[in-house]
Amino acid sequence: MKRLLIALFCILSLPVFANEPASTQAEATDKEAFSPGEMILHHISDSHEWHFATLGDEEHGTHLTLPLPVIAYQPTKGLSVFSSSRLAHGQSYNGLKLEHEHLVAEDGGHVYDFSITKNVASLLLSALLLLLVFTAVARGYGKNRNGAPRGIQSFFEPIIVFVRDEVAKKSIGPKYERYMPYLLTIFFFIWFNNLLGLMPGGANLTGNIAVTLTLAVLTLIITLASSNKYYWSHIFATPGVPKALLPIMIPVELIGVVVKPFSLMVRLFANITAGHIVILSFISLIFIFRSAAVSPVSIAFGLFINVLELLVAILQAYIFTLLTAMYIGGAVEEHHDADHQIGGDNAAAPAHGHAH
Amino acid sequence: MPTDAAPRPDKPTDSGADRLRNFAKYSGLGFQMLATIGLCAWGGLKLDAHFQNKNPWYTIGLMVLGLVAATYQVIRTLTRNE
Repeated sequence: MKRLLIALFCILSLPVFANEPASTQAEATDKEAFSPGEMILHHISDSHEWHFATLGDEEHGTHLTLPLPVIAYQPTKGLSVFSSSRLAHGQSYNGLKLEHEHLVAEDGGHVYDFSITKNVASLLLSALLLLLVFTAVARGYGKNRNGAPRGIQSFFEPIIVFVRDEVAKKSIGPKYERYMPYLLTIFFFIWFNNLLGLMPGGANLTGNIAVTLTLAVLTLIITLASSNKYYWSHIFATPGVPKALLPIMIPVELIGVVVKPFSLMVRLFANITAGHIVILSFISLIFIFRSAAVSPVSIAFGLFINVLELLVAILQAYIFTLLTAMYIGGAVEEHHDADHQIGGDNAAAPAHGHAH
Repeated sequence: MPTDAAPRPDKPTDSGADRLRNFAKYSGLGFQMLATIGLCAWGGLKLDAHFQNKNPWYTIGLMVLGLVAATYQVIRTLTRNE
């Protein structure tokens, strides 16, 4: 286990370095034939249409694309809703056009873009999937209250119990129950979306910084909303610190409050995006060398990283949930119960008291 | 889930789940250091650009503060509860 973790840690730090060669290669290769940087950026960024594949070449081939609704609000013209296929190939519609996937007005006016983009569509799809899966699980508990879990319920029960016992109880302590809905939601949301992003043609939702920002801000709000006086006294009057040092300690503590969710945001974003970039870079090697002889190596590495990403998908969901639980735990911690983070079973005992 | 508790035998404290937990916790700490210093450096650069300073005092000052903050957070996390 230890060796596995060390190996995993080494590999997880790889993508950070692999990031750079990808973009420099992009500049080195000739533009007209194939630009891996452009291809990779296109794959990991959001767009107004959902492009799955192109059969044949770029000019004459068939594009398998799902047009998505564009919803734009212009202060001068009002709301306009139309299909994104009207904006394909640089066309303009209703005074709007796409410039590098940004919706702009031809007259230079301001546009508020509320479009159902690829990421939004993927988000709605995953929300639907999560609802379907977890209403089925919940129905299972409603139907056979004391029986053994059945079907899909038996797959998710150990995971839910793991999040409760290993994440929530150990990190938050006796007050863990009120945070379970949020912790379970972010865990399964991140996990499902990581996996959906790995599917061919999937959107890179958890590799979008706006999505991870929203999750991190939610964590920040919940942490601050559930904080008690000990949390704030630790920030503004850290115990054991001389008064003269407080002007330094207060900013340091306040930076800590902001940085914790910030690091959550960047970690998820960077890990998922880096994973996608590495896989696409390996596949690009075939086209950079213009030789099928490279393909066994590049596909083997690509497949390896892809399988690794399956592990990273759940690992990142776990890390996000665990750190969220630990931040909440730090905010609700009572003054003298520093023991709660050590013994999960101790923390569990009083919780059962008022659970039933 | 009301049906819980019951057959949880006393596990040794160094179980696989605990190791995974420690791995996540301490690798998260490194990332947090990086984020602290990075955020401070970014803020400093923005402030220097805004006030058009000749010398980047905001960048330097905030980065030093960031280093102090990052080190302090690590020490506090490591010494607490254990």
